[in-house]
Amino acid sequence: MDEDLIKDNAMQRARAAQYVLSAVGIDFSYENGYKVFENINIDVGQNEFVAIVGPSGIGKSTLLRILGGFLKPDRGSVYLFGKPIIRPTPDIILIHQSIVTFPWLTALENVMLSLKVRNVSDEEAEKAARNALEMVGLQGFEDLYPKEMSGGMRQRVAIARALAASPLVFLMDEPFAHLDELTAEGLRQDIYNILFSPDTPLKGVVLVSHNLTEVVELADEIYVLNNVPATVVGKVHVDLPRPRNPRSEEFNQILDALYNYLTPPKVKKL
Amino acid sequence: MNEILLITLATLATAGRVLGLILISIFTGWFLAYAAIKGKIFENIYISLIEVFESVPVISFFPIVLIIFVTRIGGPLGVEMAADFLVFTAVVWNIWIGEYQAFKTVPREMLEVAENYQMSFLTKMRRIFIPFSYPRIAANLFPSVSDGFFYITVSEVFSVGIHTYQTFGIGTVLDSLVASGQTRLIYIDLAILAVVIILIIIGLREFSRYAVSKYTVDTDAPIIRRGRLNVKQTTRLLSVVARNPLSRLAGYYRSRAISRPPEVFEKHEIRKEKISRYTSIAIGVIILGLILYSSVDLIISVPHSEWGRLFSITPRIVLYLLYDYLRVGVILAISFVIAIFLGYYLAMHSRAEGIGVPIIQALSAYPPPIYLPFIFAASFTAIHSVLGAFTDEFYVLSLGFVSTFYYIFYSFWMGVKALPAEYFEVMKNLNMGYFSRMRSIILPGTFPYLISGISSTINSAWGGLMIGEYWPDIVAGRSLEVHFGLMKFIDVQTNTGNIALAGWGSFIFGIVVAIYSILFTRRMMDLARKRYVAEEGVFAA
Repeated sequence: MDEDLIKDNAMQRARAAQYVLSAVGIDFSYENGYKVFENINIDVGQNEFVAIVGPSGIGKSTLLRILGGFLKPDRGSVYLFGKPIIRPTPDIILIHQSIVTFPWLTALENVMLSLKVRNVSDEEAEKAARNALEMVGLQGFEDLYPKEMSGGMRQRVAIARALAASPLVFLMDEPFAHLDELTAEGLRQDIYNILFSPDTPLKGVVLVSHNLTEVVELADEIYVLNNVPATVVGKVHVDLPRPRNPRSEEFNQILDALYNYLTPPKVKKL
Repeated sequence: MNEILLITLATLATAGRVLGLILISIFTGWFLAYAAIKGKIFENIYISLIEVFESVPVISFFPIVLIIFVTRIGGPLGVEMAADFLVFTAVVWNIWIGEYQAFKTVPREMLEVAENYQMSFLTKMRRIFIPFSYPRIAANLFPSVSDGFFYITVSEVFSVGIHTYQTFGIGTVLDSLVASGQTRLIYIDLAILAVVIILIIIGLREFSRYAVSKYTVDTDAPIIRRGRLNVKQTTRLLSVVARNPLSRLAGYYRSRAISRPPEVFEKHEIRKEKISRYTSIAIGVIILGLILYSSVDLIISVPHSEWGRLFSITPRIVLYLLYDYLRVGVILAISFVIAIFLGYYLAMHSRAEGIGVPIIQALSAYPPPIYLPFIFAASFTAIHSVLGAFTDEFYVLSLGFVSTFYYIFYSFWMGVKALPAEYFEVMKNLNMGYFSRMRSIILPGTFPYLISGISSTINSAWGGLMIGEYWPDIVAGRSLEVHFGLMKFIDVQTNTGNIALAGWGSFIFGIVVAIYSILFTRRMMDLARKRYVAEEGVFAA
């Protein structure tokens, strides 16, 4: 029996090693016993932008925290290039839905924070932080405090801080939810190019959102969560050229497919 | 058996005195806070006075107590009023300022609903303002109870010259037990006091939990139904108590304009507004007038020669004050270091927090002046063999430390608990080490809490110094006494019946403390509000 388990684990790891990030057979319950997920499997390939969609309250943000090692699943494992993730690591950086900056630090200092913890010299840290800010279009704003910035600029600072940590994977929890539509649209258009530019070591992105147009615009692969407890009810591959046109027929066909998956959830009787 | 009954009654009398005065503070504070938010002039006078009085330690009121209550009123009533006044000044300020802050930060939408339904004054108070102030009151009750109990030994029994004044309570009973050397009863006395304090702390924790869960806007804490007791959860909820006051404090000075255009006001409404404004101005002017009258009356009543003597001794008083500031600095430094390490550890480990915080709460409410003589008696020889001439200094600093440490500890602990959860995720995500977390995130993020804690620690350290610097016969045949110190100077002058010198010392001390408060604390708080409000770092439009 034990030998079977070891063999299974070895196979899982070998399979997971083919992916940047891989979640295998994830079950998770809240402390009050409410079962959130059952047998969730998600794979993120090389340079792949993966989106997870689902109705409000289904547990998308919780899943993202499991992928980042912030929460421990009841069953199943998360692998980064085949290596199990048991705690948060700078290799997988979480971008929060509520934009997180530190009000007592300037934009530059906010970004330098993720470099200082890597024992980089001050000069190198500043240089790298300036590069990261430039990458997100904030050159010239290095000395501003978060309070002096718009929501969109603050989110760019948070993304620059994340990029400066040289992560392999980005986990983005509805990163545009607190921005006005125009700012969100501008950042959405920039984000793919920023993330997968040759200057970043990034190998994969997982975006959580309930905005279906947004995910079709950005993602290569879309996982649809539904039901209680949540399971992956569908996976949609988006093979449209970039930049994508939300008014095109193909775009709308994909949107329709997503809507079909998101019919009212089935509640599993326990 | 009769003695145990007497001790129990005395403990209940003391507890009743402290709790009763807290209730009076709460009740009067509601009306004063309402008057303050309704009238700018009254608000300015009221808040300025509270800020000054809050920063002036209770000891500064002692000569006033002697002059007004003991000398002018006299008799058992005068002594009882003196004790009540001292405890009142220990508990009232933070409750009044807390209620004012709560009233000032009632959400505009709630006020608009009240206007929309044309609620009367009493309905507004009952349905909106008073319920909204409960969480803030709950947060302020712990330090108020601790402060109230701290001063029972000096407020229930005190000597002026050859006269000793006392009123019924645990302080008086303990004093007579110590004098007659009844060790067994002393231990029973201490144990009964401990039981009563623990019961009060449990009650306060329950009230906090209830107040936060039911009366805090936008809390995720489940609403507690009456009658359910769950001590275990209270610690977590206290953090919510802490979270909201500070985040609201950030909006403390934000103006809240009424959006309603003036033309929709009826004539009688305008008249009512005017009456309310003029009443507020009148109350403010009366308070100022009373202060001015008492000051002029006092200045005139003191002979010129006496003024000359008082001015000539002033440089010595200032020097003594410097000695005391040095002691306060040492107490603060030790408290700060312990608070940072212990507070962070407890905030991060919920199991340890569940045990550690209630213990610290109970210990902080248990008055150190009650038990210090026993610790002194048990440890003096050992400590003296190590510290020699510095032994008394050690006990004075220790008394200062135990009487004030919990302020900075609570402030820091609450500050850590109130940091946005996202900050902890970022710290974990970046694998930040302990000192890196402290330097870059935790200390700046808790800066407003630390300033508030440091300020309270400094203010309360004076109470410990006042009791410790001159304590004749702390144990039979031995006194606790420092060489130099302003608190000792005031104590000695009071003890020898030289009220004018004691009053002058307290006056100089009050002025210095008030200036310090304005120059240091206020500036630091302004800086904290401008840059170090952690909640503002999480943008959720």
